[in-house]
Amino acid sequence: MWQDLWQYFSTHGYEVWMLTLQQLYIVAIPMCAAILVAVPLTIVATRVPRLYPWVIGISNAFQTIPSMALLVLMITIGLGIGLLPAAVALFVYALMPIVRNTYVGIAGVAPEVKDAAIGMGATKWQLLWLVELPLALKVIIAGIRSSLVASIGFATLAALIGAGGLGSLILQGLGMADNAIVLAGTIPAVIMAFVAEFVMGRLERWLTPKGLRG
Amino acid sequence: MLSFQDVCKRYPDGTTAVDQLSLDISHGELVALIGPSGCGKSTTLRMVNRLVEPSSGTILVDGRDNRAYHPVELRRRLGYVIQQVGLMPHLTIAENIAFVLRLQGVAPKQRRRRAEELMHLVGLDPGLYLDRYPRELSGGQQQRIGVLRALAHDPDIILMDEPFGALDPLIREQLQDELKRLQKTVHKTILFVTHDMDEALRIADRIVLMRDGRIVQAAEPEQMLRAPADAFVAEFIGRHRMLRQASEVAVADVMIDNPVTMEVHAGLAQALERMRQRRVNSVMVVDSGGRFAGVARLEDVTRALEQGLPMRVGDVARWAQTAVHPDDPALNAMRQMLWYRVDAVPVVAEDGTLAGLVTRSALAGVLDDALRVTGAEPLAEAR
Ligand SMILES: Nc1ncnc2c1ncn2[C@@H]1O[C@H](COP(=O)(O)OP(=O)(O)O)[C@@H](O)[C@H]1O
Ligand SMILES: [Mg+2]
Repeated sequence: MWQDLWQYFSTHGYEVWMLTLQQLYIVAIPMCAAILVAVPLTIVATRVPRLYPWVIGISNAFQTIPSMALLVLMITIGLGIGLLPAAVALFVYALMPIVRNTYVGIAGVAPEVKDAAIGMGATKWQLLWLVELPLALKVIIAGIRSSLVASIGFATLAALIGAGGLGSLILQGLGMADNAIVLAGTIPAVIMAFVAEFVMGRLERWLTPKGLRG
Repeated sequence: MLSFQDVCKRYPDGTTAVDQLSLDISHGELVALIGPSGCGKSTTLRMVNRLVEPSSGTILVDGRDNRAYHPVELRRRLGYVIQQVGLMPHLTIAENIAFVLRLQGVAPKQRRRRAEELMHLVGLDPGLYLDRYPRELSGGQQQRIGVLRALAHDPDIILMDEPFGALDPLIREQLQDELKRLQKTVHKTILFVTHDMDEALRIADRIVLMRDGRIVQAAEPEQMLRAPADAFVAEFIGRHRMLRQASEVAVADVMIDNPVTMEVHAGLAQALERMRQRRVNSVMVVDSGGRFAGVARLEDVTRALEQGLPMRVGDVARWAQTAVHPDDPALNAMRQMLWYRVDAVPVVAEDGTLAGLVTRSALAGVLDDALRVTGAEPLAEAR
């Protein structure tokens, strides 16, 4: 079987590579969107307490829906098949860990630190940029990290609704009962998840202010 | 400089935290706001920098209604120090000291210079501290930085909410002295919240005693000690601090109630450890009934241990050369100390139980105050 796999890579290497790149942006675009939406929205929710149950509740619901059902849901709400519904599904799926960690990170800043900053005359923006975000950054990055790793797994399913990516290779292999092709799709996806995990771990360490390390 | 005019604060839940409070604080004055927990001290303080908005009344800062300032602008004119310190854990000490300047947009180089300047002011070595992080500092050191931080922008008025309340007594006294010294050099107007009368007496120019949101008495420390306005004030000041004629001060007023004691059967190593822990060079030895059985001195305990003698604390205890009764005049204890050339005299009740210990330093403090009231030469100088 390993021989078959090797054979497949040597004949279809370019194709696997292209599918991997495709997989990469199937994950990256919704992830970026999720970060850009979830972080500011949650920051607003830390200021307007009424908002938080909604923000966390909705993002939680998206993550609780079984992945398959979520993909099918995209079709039923009229997004059709292809890249767009997959991206939307991934986007809503990625929100929850980011929302949760952003909230926990900011709410977890010691009250006396905030009291001191406000008492010294920090404006709302200064409080956020100079105090809350630096102190919450580590936790927020950890949220993005778990969101990203989950999304890479989810993204292989996106092939079911025709989004392409490594998932299509796996589906093809399953259809042809050819394990080599299944592995040719699975292995790059696994490597991608590990690399993402590693890079984010590094980023987390690197972005943690020196005074908090150790 | 800072003036409260009929200020009331009622919280949304109906608690009246501050009730009709009026107070004028003049330039360069250090006023201690004191009272039992929940009497409205913090609320009063936090209304000055508008962390809490008064329900009615007016607070004048530099002669101007503090509501006329934008809250951010107001706070940047004031210094603020809190009990929990609240240093920014992600910033270095230098950045912490100059944090207010950063908020105001001062350039990094100038901020650094100001941080160094302030470190010199309190005799700390900038090179040693400026690039460290708060968590590398002890509680006392952190609060030193907390105080410096409040001075960075050179405010005229500084608000302090139990700044030394969480520190252990020795460090607390050090910081109180430092603050007093600092106050003399920088001439700030300080509103200082505390619940510790010793602290208030030590540092304040004027003490304002509060109860249930109202001022009970506002007076100079000396005056408050001599003429407490009512029983509540007297109670709060505490019996042992009231100024009396020296001859009226009893041993019971000045003694340490809980000297380091050990039972006669306790082991020597145990006694040694105890002395090391409490940093004393002798322990009072008592029998199982709490009756005084002598004094075990550090040197005797160590010698017996070194020689490996199978002894207990009771065996090395020596009879004290002298002892006093709780009702004896404190001056009597002083005389005994001078006569026998000892630093401490055990206090023994009629039934033989150990009631306490009079030490030279405790005695000196109290009698010093008392003699000053009587107009005699203070003991400290007579020594
Ligand atoms: N934010 C608040 N909401 C409601 N009640 C409060 C609040 N802050 C303080 N209080 C109440 O106001 C009273 C005075 O509190 P505080 O000023 O903190 O007293 P102190 O500093 O003298 O201990 C207390 O009874 C306290 O429970
Ligand atoms: Mg308080």
